[in-house]
Amino acid sequence: MSTIAYPRLRARVGRNRGVVVVIGLLVVLLVFGAFLSDRFRTPTNLLNIVEQSTGLALVSLGQTLTILTGGIDLSVGSMISLLSTLTSGLIAGNAAMILPVAVGVVLLGMVIGGLNGLLVITLRIHPLIVTLGMGAVLQGVVLLYSLGPAGKVPPGFTFVAYGKLFGIPIGAIVVLVLFALVAGFLRYARLGRYIYAVGDDDEGAKLMGLPRARVILFVYAFSGVCCALTALYLVARFGVGQPYTGLNYTLASITPVVVGGTMLTGGKGGVLGTLLGVYLISLLNNVLNFMDVSTHYQLIAQGLIVIAAVSIYVEKKKRI
Amino acid sequence: MLKLTGISKGFAGVQALSGINFDVRAGEIHALVGENGAGKSTTIKIIAGALQPDAGEIAFDGKVVSWSGPADAKAAGIHVIYQEFVLFPHLTVAENIFLGHERRGRFGLIDHDRTRRDAADLLQRLGVAIDPDKIVSELTVADQQMVEISKALVHKVKLLILDEPTAVISGREADLLFARLAALKAEGVAIVYVSHRLEEIFQIADRVTVFKDGAHVATTDIGDVNRERLISLMVGRDLKDIFPPKRGTGGGKVTLKAENVSVAGRVRNASLELRAGEITALAGMVGAGRTEFAMAIFGGLPASSGTVWIDGEQVGMLSPAQSIRRGMGFVTEDRKGQGLAMLLDVAANVTAADLDAVTRRGVIDRRRENQIAREEIEKYRIACRGPSTPVATMSGGNQQKVIVARWARTSRKVLVLDEPTRGVDVGAKTEIYRIMRQLADDGIALLMISSELPEVVGMADRVVVMREGVVSGELAGAAINEAAIMRLATQHPSAAGSHP
Amino acid sequence: MVDLVQSKPAAATEPKRSLTSRFSHLALPVFLILLIVISGLVSPAFLSGSNISNMLLQVAPLGIVVIGQAYVIILRGLDLSVSSVMATSAVIATSFSGQNGDVLPILLVAVGIGVATGIVNGLLVTKRSVSPFLATLATMIVLQGFRFAYTQGAPSGNVPPLFRAIGSATWNGIPYNILVLIVLAVVFGLLLARSRFGREVYITGGNPTTARLLGINADRVTIIGYVISGAMAAIAGLVLSGYVGIVDNWVGRGFELDSIVAAVMGGISLSGGRGGIVGGLLGAAVLVVVFNAVLLFGLPVQLQIIIKGVVIVVAAAFYVRRSR
Repeated sequence: MSTIAYPRLRARVGRNRGVVVVIGLLVVLLVFGAFLSDRFRTPTNLLNIVEQSTGLALVSLGQTLTILTGGIDLSVGSMISLLSTLTSGLIAGNAAMILPVAVGVVLLGMVIGGLNGLLVITLRIHPLIVTLGMGAVLQGVVLLYSLGPAGKVPPGFTFVAYGKLFGIPIGAIVVLVLFALVAGFLRYARLGRYIYAVGDDDEGAKLMGLPRARVILFVYAFSGVCCALTALYLVARFGVGQPYTGLNYTLASITPVVVGGTMLTGGKGGVLGTLLGVYLISLLNNVLNFMDVSTHYQLIAQGLIVIAAVSIYVEKKKRI
Repeated sequence: MLKLTGISKGFAGVQALSGINFDVRAGEIHALVGENGAGKSTTIKIIAGALQPDAGEIAFDGKVVSWSGPADAKAAGIHVIYQEFVLFPHLTVAENIFLGHERRGRFGLIDHDRTRRDAADLLQRLGVAIDPDKIVSELTVADQQMVEISKALVHKVKLLILDEPTAVISGREADLLFARLAALKAEGVAIVYVSHRLEEIFQIADRVTVFKDGAHVATTDIGDVNRERLISLMVGRDLKDIFPPKRGTGGGKVTLKAENVSVAGRVRNASLELRAGEITALAGMVGAGRTEFAMAIFGGLPASSGTVWIDGEQVGMLSPAQSIRRGMGFVTEDRKGQGLAMLLDVAANVTAADLDAVTRRGVIDRRRENQIAREEIEKYRIACRGPSTPVATMSGGNQQKVIVARWARTSRKVLVLDEPTRGVDVGAKTEIYRIMRQLADDGIALLMISSELPEVVGMADRVVVMREGVVSGELAGAAINEAAIMRLATQHPSAAGSHP
Repeated sequence: MVDLVQSKPAAATEPKRSLTSRFSHLALPVFLILLIVISGLVSPAFLSGSNISNMLLQVAPLGIVVIGQAYVIILRGLDLSVSSVMATSAVIATSFSGQNGDVLPILLVAVGIGVATGIVNGLLVTKRSVSPFLATLATMIVLQGFRFAYTQGAPSGNVPPLFRAIGSATWNGIPYNILVLIVLAVVFGLLLARSRFGREVYITGGNPTTARLLGINADRVTIIGYVISGAMAAIAGLVLSGYVGIVDNWVGRGFELDSIVAAVMGGISLSGGRGGIVGGLLGAAVLVVVFNAVLLFGLPVQLQIIIKGVVIVVAAAFYVRRSR
């Protein structure tokens, strides 16, 4: 029987239901879009979709890892706002400042994220609360720094957002490389394996003597780094950072993760599903645009997708 | 190899261990026995570094040690196979086996092919046929246990601790395990073996230590004791003083009849009858489907088929609310997880299944509730400050009495008790047995699920035995003995019993 | 040789509750009083009649939302959709009419939207086992989109004068809206603390499995909890619109976080089964006092958000320590 002939394949597919579902939806939307409009089929439009999803992809990458450990990072929105405002505020049009500020912002993201992880470990309260609190604090801090757009970046910096390599947007290349690296890390590094173990059974990970604290610290610090990259990209795209840039990213970053089949309870899922989830959402918005559906309805569609996704993936819990 | 001296440990006012001594030598199998709640699990967790003792000294390999966590004990060469497996349900068999000891290749990256190959080798050496690529949550409980055991063989251990490793596996798999343990022993590994099954202990152990109520009772060479002596050391008094006298069977009419009850994957066409005034025991190994069968009758689990009659009236399969209205009760095995409302007080817990009795026009009559609670506290001798004591602060035995009191109030006809004396000291145990017999004498049909054979033999008027989801036989009256129950619980009738 | 050791019976005496745990429920009221006293000492204007009246005005809408949030959190949930319900129900209900004569239909439409949202939230959480966080997040987004689509970005409704009076007027310094809060708090506080339904809420929140085995319809209890939260949010939306004076697409923005902060500060545990309405309202009062003090002391407004963030983490850590 064929099911016996490919047990490994079957097991893989079984572990990545999200990926299969999302690929199916992507294909359906692409076909639908192609029938809808000639302009949809153009390479420019498709590259646009990929290019526009860069920010969401970056922040969702970090979010995937925190969710895989059974946690969540609700501070990403404020962190992006803070880091992007700092970026343009500190560069202030001075090209020589680009590199030191970019490095500094990435490090700051890592430190703030690491602080999230440290609080989760030491206070033993749910990451939801810790990062919610951290988000509020960061939002307050960025507003103390500036109430509106701060500074500006030299025109050359926008290359990060609008530049192309062999006709492919730089942002998209960065995203693909990062996702591939993290996918490899999750599969081939010990720490990657432990991320799944901690999310699967936190108590068990403790009993096994796995480096739980290191795992937690790592995922939140990494989420901070992803926020920093998102911030840099957004500053490049808009030419300036402002204190509400990241507002919508907190919740938006969770949607592709969930749509991609990663369980909110942790231990199951992966970054491939997230990437496809990001593209699915961008594609959907694009198709809706072509259908002349207003952004308001796009919001409704997004909410319904979340509901549909979590309803489909839900694991039947044993009900005693 | 290991020496514990004067180890004490308390939890929230309950002393789990009081000054125990325990030692294991290299190249011996040392059995650790005692009733539930005797302190075995706590001792294991202290040795493994998962708990820190309040007092006392641990010496390992000749040095006094102090583990700050499981990682320390593991690094020193201690491996524990817990009764509740430490398996990660969404990882594969191979990934689970090598978790923490990943097989790595170039650049320190995980080598998936080697992981799979080594896992297959290991499982083959153990003698079991399990696909290393399978997700662990898809395995049978017995296979999960074998995976758990194989984890101990991944790296060199100096001390191996096994907590009830045979509770869920068949005789053939147990023989595989014993052969492996004998080989490890020959290599000089020290082994601590915790089990309820005394015959196993006489088969493989060199020495045996008995714990009771958190204290060390005896340590002896296995040749110096016999079965009866061991039991009386564990229980602390003669069996006839613990169990109230039986009344004999055959008197009562059938109160409840369940026929062809099936629960997807767990129970197949199981039937039983409960008689008024009788205590019927549901026996079998862990994982045989006893709880699921009883739960399905009560309505707590969806049954894929089956019919229930109460007092001769066919009622089909009920919901818990309907069961309660018809005079049934269910004392769950997992007190904290399913039985008690841990955050509420004694009064609220006692009346929880019978809110009608304390509700007037939708409002809870707190005075009436406290009055009921005070009556029950007195009746069942529940040790607490009063009706408003939070149950979370009470000892296991008293918590159990609260639950029994709750259900005894509403169960006019049938009361199911799942492992009613788990984690309860011998004093409370005796009282719970007395209460159970009293309830039976009052005309209620009792169904007791129990893994403790002395308890089954001592209490039951009738025994229904299950094996792998099927009722494999029934014993009554004088025919009830441990050997007969074990035979029904473990024997493989034919190929039909093996896993598909 | 059998070496018998004297076995000691395990001590199973009832532990005495420590002094700290016995008085810890007083921590919040004491904290609130200290806060008021210190603020009054720092700035005499703080204790002026008009400022107190102002604080009461502000506490009412938040307090009403907290009542509903309390039910949901005690049931092991979380309601992120409250702010969206506030704005959506106010915007849609007042778009039909801004006349005093239509107050009742406006109220019914608003509460209807809140109730419907609660039912959807509750069904997702119970029947589809969606995590409360995601379920209410999704309804929040959907409602937001619905609201913007309905108004095309610019709400057209008017707040009836009666609501404006209730939302912002005072009688001898006592705002009318605080009376609305008190009535709702008494009704739903008693329902939670004294009624059979309240008992079922606590049992279900403590452990849904226990509840089911006790014959309690845990799903129904949970759904009703979300319905109460939706209805409270809708009422709070109207009260707040009355305070602001106009209907705005973002009425109630930030109330989801504020109401959760207030509840957690008030000892309502996110792990369920613990806490009550009074605690939640005290938490709301502390938040309003702190916000007010920040403004009165001439500190930057941004500090309000920072304090909120610190407070929720500290409060959660405090209650975790206590319950251990």
